[in-house]
Amino acid sequence: MPFSFLNPWFWLGALAVAGPLWLHLRRKQETNLFRFSAVRFLEDEAEPRRRPHQFRDVLLLALRLAALLLIISAFAWPYLRGASTLPIKESRVYILDNTLSHQALQGFTRDRDRIVDEIRGSGTDVQTAVIELTGVPRVAVPFGEQREAALQRLRELHPSFQRGSYLAAFRMANSLLANSLGERKKIVFCSDNQENQWKESVNTPPFLRGVQVDVPTPGAKLLPNLSLSDPRTQRVFLGDKSLVHFTAKLTHTGPARSAQIMLRANGQAVFNRTLALENQPETIMIQAQWEAEPGSWLFGEATVEGAPDALAADNRLFFSLAPVVEGKVALLAQSPYLRLALSEEIMRGQWATRVLDPTHLDEETATNADADVLCLESNYLQSSAARKLLARYLATKRGVLLFVNRLTPAIEGCLREFGFETEGAVNTGPEGPERFQFVFSNHPIFHPFLSPEYGNLMDIKVSQYVRLKSAAAMPLIFSERGAGLFFQGSGSFGKLFVAAFGADREHTSWPVDQTFIPFLDLTLQAARAQDLTPTIFEPGEAASIPLPAGVAGTEVVLREGEREVRRASVQQGRAEVRFPDKPGHYVLTTEDSAQVLNAFSVNPSPKESQLTFSESPQALKGWHQDALREKPGHSSGEVPTPPRLSAILQQRVWWWMVLGALLVLTLEMVSAGTRRERK
Amino acid sequence: MPVATQTLTERFDPTLLAALEGLDFKARYIMEGFLAGLHNSPFHGFSVEFSDYRNYQPGDDLRRLDWRLYARTDRLCIKRYMQETNVRFYILCDTSASMEYRGSAAWGSKLECAKVLSAALTWFLLKQNDAAGMITIPDPSEVPEYLRPSQRSSQFGLMLRQLDSLRPSGGACLAQLLQHAARLVHRRSVILFFSDLLEPSEDVSLGFKHLRFLGHELIVFHVLDRDELEFPFSEPRVFEDLESGVRRVVSPAAVREKYLERFNAYMEGHRRLFRELEIPHCLVRSDENPWHALALFLNERKRLL
Repeated sequence: MPFSFLNPWFWLGALAVAGPLWLHLRRKQETNLFRFSAVRFLEDEAEPRRRPHQFRDVLLLALRLAALLLIISAFAWPYLRGASTLPIKESRVYILDNTLSHQALQGFTRDRDRIVDEIRGSGTDVQTAVIELTGVPRVAVPFGEQREAALQRLRELHPSFQRGSYLAAFRMANSLLANSLGERKKIVFCSDNQENQWKESVNTPPFLRGVQVDVPTPGAKLLPNLSLSDPRTQRVFLGDKSLVHFTAKLTHTGPARSAQIMLRANGQAVFNRTLALENQPETIMIQAQWEAEPGSWLFGEATVEGAPDALAADNRLFFSLAPVVEGKVALLAQSPYLRLALSEEIMRGQWATRVLDPTHLDEETATNADADVLCLESNYLQSSAARKLLARYLATKRGVLLFVNRLTPAIEGCLREFGFETEGAVNTGPEGPERFQFVFSNHPIFHPFLSPEYGNLMDIKVSQYVRLKSAAAMPLIFSERGAGLFFQGSGSFGKLFVAAFGADREHTSWPVDQTFIPFLDLTLQAARAQDLTPTIFEPGEAASIPLPAGVAGTEVVLREGEREVRRASVQQGRAEVRFPDKPGHYVLTTEDSAQVLNAFSVNPSPKESQLTFSESPQALKGWHQDALREKPGHSSGEVPTPPRLSAILQQRVWWWMVLGALLVLTLEMVSAGTRRERK
Repeated sequence: MPVATQTLTERFDPTLLAALEGLDFKARYIMEGFLAGLHNSPFHGFSVEFSDYRNYQPGDDLRRLDWRLYARTDRLCIKRYMQETNVRFYILCDTSASMEYRGSAAWGSKLECAKVLSAALTWFLLKQNDAAGMITIPDPSEVPEYLRPSQRSSQFGLMLRQLDSLRPSGGACLAQLLQHAARLVHRRSVILFFSDLLEPSEDVSLGFKHLRFLGHELIVFHVLDRDELEFPFSEPRVFEDLESGVRRVVSPAAVREKYLERFNAYMEGHRRLFRELEIPHCLVRSDENPWHALALFLNERKRLL
């Protein structure tokens, strides 16, 4: 193992070895010196041939030289050159993009293997680390890892479905480099350079200082891709049928002419259709409805296939739907249409309706037999008991569906309390009723009506309504003349839906339209205090899931089918769950029971399906604090780097040198004494 | 054999000198003296014996007036004495660095040998009622040290102290020593010169000639080591000159013959000089008994007388 020295200048002290050498030679000369009084009679004598100077006491000379050299070398501070002491010229951090988009064209595998090759071929003067860019960037290989262990760790990395932040990965890399040993600091970014990633952090203040960044040049700015995203499912009750309404977005980029879409639910094929993509917008909404058992969980999966498709991992979409739980409606209305629509015959299994007695509203208020939603007409708001009842429903986070069929000062006052201002009643008269001009189709209530299966909301006419204004409520339906006809109130704990008209033929044609019953069902569902926990997550996402009341235990189990995936701790009625990387269906169960507490779908982020890449990201330029400058007088590769002092000091080779010198001096002393006695 | 590390006082062996007491040390020439002794002085001065009168001149010492003659003749006359003075002896000792040499066979270094001889002669001379003094150059850069000749008993101690303080140092100093002697010694004296004479004769011949011209008697004790005389070395070694520091790497076996040839020629040069100047010259070996050399010299001196 080669030696090296911290203070090589001390080796100038080796000139001191000339001292003993000179002494040993001179002594012979001095012992042979004879002081004589008559040298003048010898002055012109030639020097006789004599043997060259020879060392006497070779052993003593050798011992003294050895002791001197050992002491000098100790001061020169020797150390054994090894991996721990070698100077580090460059510290290099590889950021391996392990997001979904990098799976396109085997990009991740190619970059991973390239990093393995570069690490294997790098010298011992380069320290490397690898950061795996996933949902939460992590250090896959830290600095100082043994080479074989590092390579093994890299080989164990597999493509993921997650979306991660470039910025977070670069910050992590910068932090690693700040504490690294190399004179040069470098980040090698192994990624596809997805454009939307760079755009997300374009305004980040600079934080990279003195770090060189290698960013790859993407092979193509755009890759063809077919993907499905944004699944939405709802149960829609049509009175005699319980349907599942499903929508999703199909995004297509590239020259694909058609795509085959398949939908399965609970193992059954729902549909299998080929969709022509030519002349179609980039994002197409696909929707489907099918009849499904309302009392059981629904687990569905949609897939798209087509060519060319650079990324196949985003072609599957998972969704789930909880079973219908019969809701309770308290009805305070005279409208026969409402009473009929919410009757047991119509809403069996969906809603259990209790018609309230307006003369005993105080009792209703006093009892605990509350429904999930209160459906009432505004004329009952004349009564203070009705107003109290309404207020109580909203205060206890339950829903209210209010039909404003009458307006009085009292009712106006009540409406004002909930943020609605009235501007008088409108009777369309001979001009004819107003149609629905705009319906907020993205709202869960009206989303299913995008499908013509449920009817056409634009056929609904309103002849009498109250002009309502609200600064906070969100209008969901506008009339032809721009009047808000249906609102979702805000500012209260519960959900308040307000229709500006009554649910009878005098006001509107809606009650006799086929859309009325599904509208009621969907509105009541929306008004019900449901569990707002999302059921769709991205791979690797963490969430705090509220558990149903009554769930005991300190852990719950996340399963994929029958297989246990992981366990989650339960704290204060909530389970801290980190969802797996792999897309699919997952259910949360208790430890000792297979009862499904909740079901979730894990789908990749739709942003990962945008295979548009950037050659020279603007964001990266803004991240550098200063331009990376070369030191004057040095070219890259010639920057002097000191060895690692801490590792050198630990070796203490100098200590053994000093010990050796003392031992040699002791031997010299003994030897010299012995020779003196002999003489 | 005396130990060279002893001081002169300790080394000095009067019993050994007593063996020489019977020898009369007489100067070949008439020496000045004012005490009754064994030497004739050609100068008039204050001596024991009355030899002649002269007329009084104003300024003469009135103590020298012969009052009896004045009583008899009414003439003022000064007595003239034949002064038989003690012979003044001066010891000059070479203290150059080469005098430090001591061979393996010698009982002391050449300087130590010179010191012992000087001390012995000093004692002998003082016993003879001769005045002994010393001129030395302790350091080539310093002024010479002059010890006035005296025959007092304390002179011996002074001389020994002075001899003890001599240290070998520096390079050639003989010429300088002889110059100082010529300058400092006014009256005819006997100069005992101790040196290894490892300097070119031409450098010192002038000094010797000057001293002889001034009428001084010189006796040269040539102190040498056996190693210098015989060059008995065998192993090659580096020879470093004690005075100049010059080094030569020499294989003695190869150079001995040439060395002896040069050395003997050199010695012959000095001998020639001394013969020319009628300077008695005595070789003193540091590996031999110095009294033997002294006795040898005295015998030789007596023979010459």
